[in-house]
Amino acid sequence: MKRSFLELLQSMGAVHRLCTIPILALALMAAIGAASAAKADETCMSPYMAKITGQEDFVYVWTLGVEGLGDASDKLVTVDVRPGSSTYGQVIDSVSVGGRHEAHHAGFTDDRRYLWATGLDTSKIFIFDVHSDPARPRLVMEIDDFVSKSGGVVGPHTSYAMPGRMIITGLSNDRDHSGRTALVEYSNSGTYIATHWMPTADQTRGTKIEGVADGYGYDLRVLPRKNVMLTSSFTGWSNYMMDFGQMLGDGEAMKRFGQTVTVWDMHARTPKKVLHVPGAPLELRFALGPNHNYAFTTTALTSKIWLIYEDDAGEWQAQAVADIGDASKVPLPVDISLSSDDKLLWVDTFMDGKARLFDVSDPFHPKQIYEKVISTQVNMVSQSWDGKRLYFTSSLLANWDKKGDDNNQYIKAYNWDGKELKEQFAIDFTKEKLGRPHIMRFGAYALYAAITTDTSTAMTE
Amino acid sequence: MIAGMNRYRICWLVALISLLSANLSPGQAAESPRSRDRAAMARIANPPLGLPAVPTPADNPPTAEKIRLGRKLFLDRRLSHNGTLSCAMCHVPEQGFAVNEMATAVGKEGKSLRRNSPTLLNVAYMRSIFHDGRETSIENQAIAPLIAADEMANPSIGYLVQKIKALRDYDGLFEQGFGRGPTMETVGMAIASYERTLLSANSAFDRWYFGKEPAALGADAIRGFELFTGKAGCAACHTIEGRFALFMDHQFHDTSVGWYRAMVRDDSEQSVRVRLAPGVFVDLDAAAVRSVGKPLPADLGRYEVTLDPADYWRYKTPSLRNVALTAPYMHDGSLRTLPEVVAFYDRGGHPHPGIDPRIRALHLSQIERDSLVAFLNSLTGDNAEELVRDARSEKIGNPQ
Repeated sequence: MKRSFLELLQSMGAVHRLCTIPILALALMAAIGAASAAKADETCMSPYMAKITGQEDFVYVWTLGVEGLGDASDKLVTVDVRPGSSTYGQVIDSVSVGGRHEAHHAGFTDDRRYLWATGLDTSKIFIFDVHSDPARPRLVMEIDDFVSKSGGVVGPHTSYAMPGRMIITGLSNDRDHSGRTALVEYSNSGTYIATHWMPTADQTRGTKIEGVADGYGYDLRVLPRKNVMLTSSFTGWSNYMMDFGQMLGDGEAMKRFGQTVTVWDMHARTPKKVLHVPGAPLELRFALGPNHNYAFTTTALTSKIWLIYEDDAGEWQAQAVADIGDASKVPLPVDISLSSDDKLLWVDTFMDGKARLFDVSDPFHPKQIYEKVISTQVNMVSQSWDGKRLYFTSSLLANWDKKGDDNNQYIKAYNWDGKELKEQFAIDFTKEKLGRPHIMRFGAYALYAAITTDTSTAMTE
Repeated sequence: MIAGMNRYRICWLVALISLLSANLSPGQAAESPRSRDRAAMARIANPPLGLPAVPTPADNPPTAEKIRLGRKLFLDRRLSHNGTLSCAMCHVPEQGFAVNEMATAVGKEGKSLRRNSPTLLNVAYMRSIFHDGRETSIENQAIAPLIAADEMANPSIGYLVQKIKALRDYDGLFEQGFGRGPTMETVGMAIASYERTLLSANSAFDRWYFGKEPAALGADAIRGFELFTGKAGCAACHTIEGRFALFMDHQFHDTSVGWYRAMVRDDSEQSVRVRLAPGVFVDLDAAAVRSVGKPLPADLGRYEVTLDPADYWRYKTPSLRNVALTAPYMHDGSLRTLPEVVAFYDRGGHPHPGIDPRIRALHLSQIERDSLVAFLNSLTGDNAEELVRDARSEKIGNPQ
């Protein structure tokens, strides 16, 4: 780790007026406690979220059920990653939610006591208690009325922690299952608060539109010190639920992919500018440096790294800065992970199963410096704060995954020594009759060691 | 007249409705629940110019209560097993009550369906339903997707009926419409009652041909009409009668599209043209596409119903009314635009022994092809927006 947690919070602008005192105190505790500890946690999580400063103990894997495999249901799988543990590298817990919901992404609340896991198909949100026993999460709440409460938003995707609230990005809607969608806010206790529709050409809401305004959504990240929130754009239910091969050959369906990154006033939740980023920009990652006013995203279809940055005039811009593999073969960059020093960017390309490492120390000129085939397919990547541990999972979407023998479903852990990825363990999720593993989130006992009933966050070792 | 009319009769009740709703023209906007229901009843009683009298089953005469209930059911996503799909998700009002955004439909959990979602506009005149004509009434057809495992996937009819009975916002509605509660029969009758109101005509063609308004149709469309009924031979299957036109013959034909997909196309492709972004295309290795896709299940067309080898790859002639609103085309959505459709027939389809003999190379000029497209574009009814507003006046049903 290159900076203390306090520096991190300051750099991200998370220390704002309303919560200065408690966060500063917690950050100080964290900085002291972390002075001699291994540095961990995943990079680029919400700056409002409590953070692991010791090594992660568990990786929670939100997993899609597979018809005919085991209980066939979506489930939260807990993998033990404690070095020296007798169950290191093994599944130690699994909580099925019943039914298949197209399990996809998940995110912690700001106090990190609860994990919100979403289903892109049924639009249900499953809330797990991860603090009472971090080794054995419990399903404590299910939000079944997301669509009706939100006014027609379908496909909850990113669950992003804001102070006392969660912002959920949608992917679709209940009128036509296209990509027109919105952001939806809930309180941490699961009460619906508000819906913020993405700007479109016919409903600009005063937004400056660079090229098109498709109204699509996908990921969300914030940079509080600049009062900026970014959202990216994917596609609607009809496409993300469709067989991938069928869709690639369907000229009409392929017209319906996002081309935009939207810049928002974070506090007001109002869109300010729609940037033109064609080719389905997916994951967003803000740089962490205190003077780094930029974020990365990658376009899944056109296979490019895009830089979303604030120019010298204070205007946010988008620029394609690098190709990822051979775009003509559609390698399909999916998840990305930025190192805590903003110098390295891991990019997973689904179709060739590769993890690619780019040197992004000059963000306008990324250069690929390493690649490794993880398997026949690879999707999500999560790296620890010190960059030494990386975890990979395989599944993209139920109907987009490889078919036949190439449909390997796994979580794999690697150590990165600066030159080489070295495998530590692998779990075959098909053999274990679990399903298709998707997003990973880190858990740790240390997060909750000092929690009291009055404190929402604990950061000491 | 329409063959099969002996199964229906124009109910005396329709005449009564006509009298009751005579003060509202079919084209008039339906802005309130009551006025939208009156307008729907008026459409049935007085179909738009160019359409014949609406056949209504003797045991399911239209009423405002049934239509209102049917509209609610049509838009209710709760009617699928996992609460994600309603009838309207595959028959989107704004997309010509079809789906413009994909070639073949997607069902429960993204399951690939074999065929393109057909429009429901003017479905009232269909003598058989589905591309292969396997159902014989809208009432029956409405039930099929609700319990098809790859569509709305309810485990049984009884389960679905119980589910509807448990939804408090349906309390009393079936009783008002039918004098009894939800059953398989009343669910089908209600949805059919609504779908039967989706009548759309009085197009530019209708005003020119049936309304005798010389200025209603442009010269290029008129030239297209002459080709349609003459040299191109389209009207042999897409028929035009003396006092109305449905642009369909209720028959099944092998256009070669199904044969080609089954016997040639799926095995012959070396690469697939893929659109990555506006103006950005690649030719992707077909093996890469196959690695992430399952081929659609075999589709043998009408043969699957009759088991008669003469019916291999035969599909029902679709109406061409509102065809400009209902892309993509053919039973598998494989032709994306009207010019593509005209070009397909101009070159005589994919010749093979079973192809309908009326499909042959036409050797049309570009001007002639354009004229045919202009004619097809003139078949859009003047009330498409009204029907959308009518549908959207009902709240979408979602899990609570």
